[in-house]
Amino acid sequence: MFTMQKELFRQLFKRAFTNQFPVKHAPKSVAKLLEDVGKGKKKINPPVPVPDDFRGKLAYDKDKCIGCQMCTRVCPSKALVFDTKTRKVKYYLSRCTFCGECVSICPVKCLSFTKEFLLADYRKD
Amino acid sequence: MTLEKKENSYSICVGPVHPALKEPVKLNMEIDGEKVIGVDFELSQVHRGIEWAATRRNPLQVLFLAERICGICNMCHMLSFSRAIETIGDIHAPPRAEYIRVIGAELERIHSHILWAGVAAHELGFDSLMHYTWKLRENVLDTIEYITGNRITKGLITIGGVRHDIPEKKIPRILESVNFYYSHFDKMAKVFLNDPVIKSRTRDVGILSRRDALTTCAVGPTARASGVKKDVRKDEAYAAYQDFDVEPILPDAYTGEIHGDVYDRVLVRLLEVKQSAEIIEKAVKSMPKGPIAWEEKPAVILAKLKPLVGEGIGRHEAPRGEVIHYVKLVGEESPYSWKVRAPTYNNMMPWVPMLMGEQIADIPIIAASIDPCMSCTNRAVSADKTTTMYTMDQLRRLSFLKTRELKRGLGK
Amino acid sequence: MIDLLVARILMIVPVTVLGIFIGLLYKGIDRRLAARMQARIGPPLVQPFRDVKKLMLKENIVPRDAVAWVFNLMPFVALASSIVLLMYVPLFGYPPLLEGHGDLMLVLYMLMFPSLALVIGGFASSSPYATVGAQREMITMVSYEFPLAITIVALAWLVSATAPGAAAFSFSAITAIPVWHLVGVLGSIGLALLFAVIIFVTTGEMGEVPFDSAEAETEIAGGLLSEYSGRNLALFYLASAIKILVLGSVVIALFIPFGISGYAGLSGIAGEAADIGFFLVKLFIVMFISSTFIRVAAARFRITQVVKIYWGYTTMIALLGLVLIGLDIFMGVI
Repeated sequence: MFTMQKELFRQLFKRAFTNQFPVKHAPKSVAKLLEDVGKGKKKINPPVPVPDDFRGKLAYDKDKCIGCQMCTRVCPSKALVFDTKTRKVKYYLSRCTFCGECVSICPVKCLSFTKEFLLADYRKD
Repeated sequence: MTLEKKENSYSICVGPVHPALKEPVKLNMEIDGEKVIGVDFELSQVHRGIEWAATRRNPLQVLFLAERICGICNMCHMLSFSRAIETIGDIHAPPRAEYIRVIGAELERIHSHILWAGVAAHELGFDSLMHYTWKLRENVLDTIEYITGNRITKGLITIGGVRHDIPEKKIPRILESVNFYYSHFDKMAKVFLNDPVIKSRTRDVGILSRRDALTTCAVGPTARASGVKKDVRKDEAYAAYQDFDVEPILPDAYTGEIHGDVYDRVLVRLLEVKQSAEIIEKAVKSMPKGPIAWEEKPAVILAKLKPLVGEGIGRHEAPRGEVIHYVKLVGEESPYSWKVRAPTYNNMMPWVPMLMGEQIADIPIIAASIDPCMSCTNRAVSADKTTTMYTMDQLRRLSFLKTRELKRGLGK
Repeated sequence: MIDLLVARILMIVPVTVLGIFIGLLYKGIDRRLAARMQARIGPPLVQPFRDVKKLMLKENIVPRDAVAWVFNLMPFVALASSIVLLMYVPLFGYPPLLEGHGDLMLVLYMLMFPSLALVIGGFASSSPYATVGAQREMITMVSYEFPLAITIVALAWLVSATAPGAAAFSFSAITAIPVWHLVGVLGSIGLALLFAVIIFVTTGEMGEVPFDSAEAETEIAGGLLSEYSGRNLALFYLASAIKILVLGSVVIALFIPFGISGYAGLSGIAGEAADIGFFLVKLFIVMFISSTFIRVAAARFRITQVVKIYWGYTTMIALLGLVLIGLDIFMGVI
């Protein structure tokens, strides 16, 4: 009985569990904050580190690509589209579901995962 | 279906948008004072046409589409779909892959049940407990991310195997996570099962008798809490589950009696977290060596799947209950037909006996006690309301007619 | 005499502003501490001020079927009655602003006004959620009123028995000598029980979590307040902020009216400042126990359970306290 109540009282004197990424409270102006960070006036708390096998944004090595179109066949969301002119693929990040099927099917390993995950943006390109 | 009206009664609708429901479903309640005297629900607020989309994709693409059916228990759909395809092609995943599938499925169960526990606490107005349980849930999410590369969508399964191996160096991290849940289990159990306020809000609330559970075809923890011994992991013993001797957990294992109320459903889920941790520990320690997939190269898999013809059914015990996938292949690149039956579909009819006669205050916790997942359930939508709705008896009569027709065809 | 009255009237505005400021500040502290207990960071302390500012800028939406004038009037009634209450309770160890024009009994009745305004506003908004909430709020009010009345009657009895001739229900008589000095061992136990009761009742008065079935976010989507928005909601919010100060001050005046300046040997302005600071600390402690901690550490009760707890257990404890104090008085008389 009252286990939770004791635990709550204990937590009152502990550090908060929340990771304070990027800053503790929402700033008045994000642009100002970024400027300050750029100048080194303020520091951004780092995000929780991601493991080695993290499936983040795709990296595409255009020179290695042989234009076999295998990746466009397995992509479930049509994020990779073949461009007939250049014989290379176009990568639409906003459609990508990060399943990794293209990475495993690519015969020349020109597609790979990066650890980048802060991909939200106002613009679609 | 219209609800019966009584003098002085009024109606309240919970949903489609309501703070108690995280997903859209409309519960129409007829209320007399604070007492529920009539229950009806309307589905199909989030129809997404997933099954239609699947008929335009090849099986490897559908696999990831299936993963997107549910945001919480995503692996169960992947696994069921690939098992359905495997039955058609008589494909057998290697033993190591089966073990990894079990580990993934059980990690998902821990994650789903703890998430549910937090939601249940929130429905009771105990937000601190929600924050506390979700804090504990972070550990399993980190482990899933460590193994598969993402916190929620695992992308672990491929047809005839798994996509990510669990190498030797990753095992200590999994065992650490298992131990974390062992050490926190007692506290969780104390908080949920012995707290006087929670107990007074959940004991003898929303009772589903064993009979009602059977007649309304409840599945998963909802059925088990009412004393129905039903668990696909035991009944079908697919993947590597036969090696772990999974026993369906009934609430009398802990309290010695079965009420079939919300308290029992909390209890069953909590005990299943511990059971899952035990299964993972055993699986990790006894994982056989060998390949992780029937065929490593996705291109070869596609080529081998293309000529397949036939129908297959894949079952899996998802955290919420039994998932069934039906797939029909006709030798083309994409499946001819795909039907998903998510556990919430079965667990919704029990709402009616559960909610009848209860107070308004108990609607959210009772509705949440089956762990509803609407997006998984909505497979069909009636665009024009004139379409005939069949009752169960009519459907049964239709199936009799069809069987007779088929028999006649065979006789010829 | 007239000068004094004018001075008092002039004081109304600053006291109101101060009341709102302290009330909102305590709401900020409350949210922060609740967040820390849940292992979160929580909003900045100024968040309640920002909330009020934003709500004030927002549009007022009146439901189509609502009784518009009642619906729009009730937030003002709630705020006005809260401000009037503020004039009748002793703040910072000073006598109430309108002393002599009303006593504890009046405060007891006035305390129902903000809640009643909520109830009427809820009924007027025509939403079934608000109607259910209003019914529940009425039931809750009736439930906690009884133990509260017992507590106050017990204290008044104690004051009138030990100091005959004093106006038993006036704050000045009760705060003049702390009640703990008037009783023996039995009476102290009785007083402690009553103290616990009033702390518990305060939780209900403020509509915080175990007793917030009238608002019940997950059940009836905000209940009473479900149709309120914009400025009307802001007024209710301010009314509840003032109510925090009022309730805290009543509890402090009844049970812990001690000043610190006498013990610390301070006098003059330093003494006054110390007393004001000490009052804020006392207010904080009362708020932390009766609101923040209970609200964080419990699940919501069903309305039937609320009635059972207040009419059953809490009333029992209050009666026990009353009997103990009575015994103490009679033993003292004999």
